[in-house]
Amino acid sequence: MINIKDVHAHVETDDGDVEILKGISLDIPAGEVHAIMGPNGSGKSTLSYVLAGREDYEVTKGAIELDGEDLLELEPEERAAAGLFLAFQYPVEIPGVNMSTFLKTSINSIRKQRGEDELDALALLKLMKEKCKDLGISDEMMKRAVNVGFSGGEKKRNEVLQMAMLDPKFAVLDETDSGLDIDALKIVADGVNSMRSPDRSFLVITHYQRLLDYIKPDVVHVMAKGKIVKTGGPELALELEEKGYAEFIEEAA
Amino acid sequence: MGSQVKTMKPLNIDDLPTPKVEEWKYTNLGRALPANLAVAEQPEEIVIHKNRGEVCEQPEEIVFTSSDGQHTQPRLRIVLEEGAQLTLIERHDGTGAYWKNMVTEIEVGPNANLQHVRLQNDNNEAVQTNLVHIKTARDAVYNGFSLNMGGKLTRHEIHAEIQGENGEVSFNGINMLNGEQHADTTILIEHQAPHCQSNQFYRTLLDDKSHGVFQGKVHVHQAAQKTDGYQLSNALLLSPDAEMDTKPELEIYADDVKCSHGATTGQLDEDPLFYLRQRGLNEAQARMLLIQAFVDEVIEKVENEPVREDILEATHTWLQTALNS
Ligand SMILES: Nc1ncnc2c1ncn2[C@@H]1O[C@H](COP(=O)(O)OP(=O)(O)OP(=O)(O)O)[C@@H](O)[C@H]1O
Ligand SMILES: [Mg+2]
Repeated sequence: MINIKDVHAHVETDDGDVEILKGISLDIPAGEVHAIMGPNGSGKSTLSYVLAGREDYEVTKGAIELDGEDLLELEPEERAAAGLFLAFQYPVEIPGVNMSTFLKTSINSIRKQRGEDELDALALLKLMKEKCKDLGISDEMMKRAVNVGFSGGEKKRNEVLQMAMLDPKFAVLDETDSGLDIDALKIVADGVNSMRSPDRSFLVITHYQRLLDYIKPDVVHVMAKGKIVKTGGPELALELEEKGYAEFIEEAA
Repeated sequence: MGSQVKTMKPLNIDDLPTPKVEEWKYTNLGRALPANLAVAEQPEEIVIHKNRGEVCEQPEEIVFTSSDGQHTQPRLRIVLEEGAQLTLIERHDGTGAYWKNMVTEIEVGPNANLQHVRLQNDNNEAVQTNLVHIKTARDAVYNGFSLNMGGKLTRHEIHAEIQGENGEVSFNGINMLNGEQHADTTILIEHQAPHCQSNQFYRTLLDDKSHGVFQGKVHVHQAAQKTDGYQLSNALLLSPDAEMDTKPELEIYADDVKCSHGATTGQLDEDPLFYLRQRGLNEAQARMLLIQAFVDEVIEKVENEPVREDILEATHTWLQTALNS
């Protein structure tokens, strides 16, 4: 499904050019869920942005393919149409654009790029209501501007709602669990689990083992200082919970 | 109240304000006036007078048109007596290069409500100056909205005196400028009575080499306790050659007031752009949606729905042209 090979990414800062990803390689076969854990600032969100095509990050080396298609050649919207979805760590507020207009424009832009017919207003409304219900999101929220005035947890739920509506083949969830209360965490995890299928993959970025109790990963990676420093099974997450990152950071240094 | 009291004069072509005058420092009127302007026409007065308790269900419209070479001096006088209600749409257009040198006087009586929508679409070679004087009585509502799209140089200068208690005065506006257009909005609000609210909410889009000016001043007199004054000007630069000058001012002599002002000038934020593109919108679509949203938030302040739809349409058309060129 997704093949990330020796990706190096730089960003332009006030102090000059800085390398943030220092050779990331990661393969997630179709149907699998991989988790990435790692200390603050290790480059997890940067990886998610690089996958999604944010222009601030320059990929100086390496390759990223989604089902054999070279993602680095594509614009962000083309990657979305190719089936990549990113649930943002910090969902962006968009004053003046209400949720239903946003969802409608989003879905139809993607369908259009794929050469599919646009969904009409009624079909969209139906889909939206159904997914909102699954995720315990009130209809009232759909009348509000995108993420404006949403609580932290509501924003995260809203990301999962969009994922459910856009039906991607590869989704990156960047700390979608942070800010969720215990019930919401379960709802969101159920939402993700119900989407698990042999032809869909997930990359779940998290700081907490607890999420991985609900969304059982096939593989856990530890990222530190822009590199994957350890890869293992679900037990790796438990080990981290116990020991912290110290020994991995030393290895990376 | 009577229409015979003339308190304001139009600008005098032989004694034009220059940028040396503080309030005119960003706007050079003399330089923009058409070269072969005819002699000023006699002031022509339009009076709209609503009697006590007169509630007008339908919006009323007036159009000010000028043509090439003219120096017109329209005078608009709006009087709403106690309890009267009106939605007034003031349209501006014209052909060629002219100077529409206008004066507007507005009196909103006790408990009266004026919804005043101004759609300024003067010719791109024309100059419009509009000096507006507004007085409001107790419990009066004045809700103004101005869409400035036309003109080579325009100046919308408003002086509002809130004279009665419990009044609410709002000035909302959108400037959409391109080419070498220059639009100046200068507002002075004087809170003279307690428990009143004033709002200024302006958004400006600047393309090409256009130039926007927003000067907004709130003056709270000592008697005007419990004043609530709000002012916000946001400008979006769509081109590196566009320019915005903003001057917010507060002058407060009462001790129990709530006043805030904010001003921003900048480009479209990268974060929402990227968010929308991640959700499948191409760059042009994403920009269009964000910029339309930027102006929509001001359009929402227009209460009359059909009028609001017209304004949405007009701004949408402007944007499509601007973003596709
Ligand atoms: N646009 C940028 N400009 C400057 N520095 C950046 C930029 N983006 C990321 N960085 C730096 O790169 C490093 C990695 O950041 P990133 O957000 O990817 O970390 P993270 O692993 O997601 O951390 P967290 O767990 O706190 O979310 C940090 O040191 C960060 O300051
Ligand atoms: Mg992060």
